Amino acid sequence: MLVVKNLTKSFTSHSGTIMALDNVSMTIETGQFASIIGKSGSGKSTLLSMLGALDVPTSGSIEVDDIDIATLSATKQTSYRAHKIGFVFQHYNLIPNLSALENVTLALEFGGMPARLRQERAEQLLRDVGLNDDEQRRRPSRLSGGQQQRVSIARALANRPAIILADEPTGNLDSETGKKIFDLLHSLSRSENTTILAVTHDMDIAGKTDKTFRLKDGKITT
Amino acid sequence: MNVVSRGTRNAFRSPLRTGAIVLMLAISIGLILSMLVARGSVNAKINDVKATAGTAVTISPAGIMGFAGGGNPLTNDQVATITKTAHIASTSATLSDQLGTTDTNLVASLELGSFGRRQQRFNSSAPTSARPAPTPRTTVTGTTNPNSISSSGSTLKLTQGATIDGSSSQLVALVGSSLATKNNLTVGNTFTAYGKTVTVMGIFQTGNTFQDSGLIMPLATVQNITDQAGAVTSVVATVDSSDHVDAVVASLKSALGDKADITSQAAQAAASVASLESIASLALAGVVGATIAGAVIVLLAMVMIVRERRREIGVIKAIGGSNSKVIGQFVTEALTLAIVGAIVGLGLGVVASGPMTNSLIKSQASTAQTPQGGINGSARAFRGGLNQINTNLTEVTSSVTPQIFISAIGITLLIAVIGSAVPAWFIARIRPAEVLRTE
Repeated sequence: MLVVKNLTKSFTSHSGTIMALDNVSMTIETGQFASIIGKSGSGKSTLLSMLGALDVPTSGSIEVDDIDIATLSATKQTSYRAHKIGFVFQHYNLIPNLSALENVTLALEFGGMPARLRQERAEQLLRDVGLNDDEQRRRPSRLSGGQQQRVSIARALANRPAIILADEPTGNLDSETGKKIFDLLHSLSRSENTTILAVTHDMDIAGKTDKTFRLKDGKITT
Repeated sequence: MNVVSRGTRNAFRSPLRTGAIVLMLAISIGLILSMLVARGSVNAKINDVKATAGTAVTISPAGIMGFAGGGNPLTNDQVATITKTAHIASTSATLSDQLGTTDTNLVASLELGSFGRRQQRFNSSAPTSARPAPTPRTTVTGTTNPNSISSSGSTLKLTQGATIDGSSSQLVALVGSSLATKNNLTVGNTFTAYGKTVTVMGIFQTGNTFQDSGLIMPLATVQNITDQAGAVTSVVATVDSSDHVDAVVASLKSALGDKADITSQAAQAAASVASLESIASLALAGVVGATIAGAVIVLLAMVMIVRERRREIGVIKAIGGSNSKVIGQFVTEALTLAIVGAIVGLGLGVVASGPMTNSLIKSQASTAQTPQGGINGSARAFRGGLNQINTNLTEVTSSVTPQIFISAIGITLLIAVIGSAVPAWFIARIRPAEVLRTE
């Protein structure tokens, strides 16, 4: 279960202090598929980076399975990202000189899986998201946007994370492919009992998730 | 795939850039190896020359060089002072003289020639037209150590008979091979010198025409028959250790003052190798310069690569990659570039080091010559040593020794480490949150 309490993140700029997140509280049950909607600059990505231990909050707490990740040391945050979190980015962010298979095994390496088991696990994950053997050996530049996002999802699932954080996962895809990716994430949340939190602009997609949070000026409005 | 294999693979991610970096590094590393080889070869030669120099110190009467110059020979007291000087292990003293046609029944084996004639026109105060006609002469060297006549400084080679006791005053002689042939002398024959009958004890051969045309007799014998009691024209003193040569020279200069000219092989050798030492310094500066250049090349290349892959580094950190793993990957990449550069560079260095060393030596060779004068008597041994020094100076051979190779590889690794240290710092500062911010 993911519990966020009174989360605040402020930045100091020339024009003064900017409150990117202002006293945000939310709870997502294990296995739920939740979405965050909001305009550009509303604090969606900042919230996601806090939940993914990519950044530290100014105040408040983020509890994942009863552990407050905001207070973890840098080393433990790295371990948390490797084992408990899976990221899916809008621009996929695959390593360009590694094949689809190697991109997934890279996450498995960081997750501490023994080298002899990584290949088989990565192949299985890529098959699960719909990439055949030939496509698995291709570099990202030789895959379509949809295929790259599937690789990104397989990489996010690699270490059986507690939470998958998806930042506009369909934002760079056509509507048909975007729907397929959404369906894939949705089915995974059910089959793997993984909590998924997706930031999106697409109201159709947001409407199909178990829970939707609306962010405005750093605050949860619904 | 692990950190090392990823780093190695990344090094070849952009073939054009990799090629350019490797080429620059190769030139730098090739220069490092060439300079190391030049320095190693020159230093080895400097040590050789200094070792060859030995510990001999020559003391000559001030103003006298062989049969030329003017002044007074060294006296018994001065020789005694030399012998008693601390750290002098042994001495050999000589007195040289020339036997004219009226002084001996021997026929000189050296042709007079224009040089000989020129020398003898100064032997008379009479006007040129009234001077006696020059005649060929035979050099006689009285010495306490007959071996000191050897031009190479080693034991005198006898083709017949046995050597003589230099400390005796017997009327005995060793005859040079040319002189013996000219006069049909063999061991046991006699000849006259200044009215005395001298017995031939042996025939020697040095390969030097001047020496092989002369006589060697005990020092006291020559002093007696030439009425020069106690006179000595040259003393070669052997110092007990090379560490004491400078001190001995200083003591002798202090004791003998301006009555004697004192030179040591070590001082001559030091002067001779000064130019080689400047080459060694130049080579060291080259090594340092090329190392800095190599490190800067790797540094700039890695900074450029890290800046270019900022997002990628953020992604790796976001999916659980630790700083140490990311830094390890980039250090491996820098090492791979350095190693490939080193392989090419060491190959270039092996090919270029010989010509480069020779070129450096040739450019300095004209300043590396030891001045020579008309040294005579037992100083020939000293001169023999200096001749060897000069030969050695011009025979610097470049060679890539395992130590030099290991040094070059060590410097290459140093270049990679220095070159990747700053990029590593950049990497550690990249925060994974930047991946989301730059979406």
